[in-house]
Amino acid sequence: MPDFIEPLRRRLVELGCPRAQVRRLVREVADHREDLTQAAVSEGLSGADAEARANASLGDPLALAEELMTALRRSSWWGRHFVVTFCLLPLLDYPVLWTLLLLLQMAFGFALGYGWNWEKLHVVANNPVTFHHLTMAIQFMDYAAIALVALFFCWLARRSAVSLKWMVTACTVCSVVAVIMYAKFEPHSFFVGFAMNSHLHMPWFRGAIPLLVAGAMYVFQRRTTQRFREKVAG
Amino acid sequence: MKKTNPSFLNGVPELLVLRLLARREMYGYQIVEEIRTQTGEALSFGEGCIYPYLHYLEAEKQVSSQRREVEGRNRNYYKLTARGRKRLEALTSEWKRVTTGVSQLMEEQYA
Repeated sequence: MPDFIEPLRRRLVELGCPRAQVRRLVREVADHREDLTQAAVSEGLSGADAEARANASLGDPLALAEELMTALRRSSWWGRHFVVTFCLLPLLDYPVLWTLLLLLQMAFGFALGYGWNWEKLHVVANNPVTFHHLTMAIQFMDYAAIALVALFFCWLARRSAVSLKWMVTACTVCSVVAVIMYAKFEPHSFFVGFAMNSHLHMPWFRGAIPLLVAGAMYVFQRRTTQRFREKVAG
Repeated sequence: MKKTNPSFLNGVPELLVLRLLARREMYGYQIVEEIRTQTGEALSFGEGCIYPYLHYLEAEKQVSSQRREVEGRNRNYYKLTARGRKRLEALTSEWKRVTTGVSQLMEEQYA
């Protein structure tokens, strides 16, 4: 009797279904298959025939995995409107999310380093050496904010069960916006804005961050699938 | 503004599932079987395809689930929540409005 559940599980993993969903779907389909088998046995079929009928009722496990993924995709707004979510939304959401995350990190850093004491911050801003260190810290926060926004869209892509190409598309849009958006930090002032002719420090690196995140997520996905295949084979 | 073109075709599975769960809590296989038998096999869910749909309803807090052992079998039982009951009332009234309208038109045509 060909196994039904493992091909289903493998295909769901290959299609990028979130792990928790894979576990739950596989468990429930296995329960469903068991119910179909029991129903067939109660009709007088032998164990093997009942299993064969249950498998036939469920159809091809690979096709079922595709159907489950389609249903999963349709069950969320993000999955139903994937073009808007992964092409247009990063364009509109990136500036807001990035600014919020950057301000949040700065507020956290300020609270942690200076205990919300403005006098201390003024002293730091007036000293070129300490101000240089502060600028570097904010630059790091800027990179972290870019990576977090890209990660948010990767998470949304995983959660919506859309294909990897939509995750890459969203990260590419983030990358373009990251290059033209900037944060400028000067003693006693802070600006956020757009500039095509950027005077930023390493704007190409800012643009590369979302692509690096997309690449890392792609590798993670491939490794997860590979690990699962090895586990099944072993 | 009055809704003149409801998406009732898309809402039919939701209506059926919520209606069944309003009677009692059920697991996936039971829901599929009940839909098949009670609609005279006019409507049926693809075997297994009910689950993403139930998960969606759970995410929308219209149903809740619990894994329980009954007669030696572990299964996820789904039951209707207060929000699901409200949604069922809304869908039922929309369904009645639409079917009444369609029936009137059909009767006129064949009268």
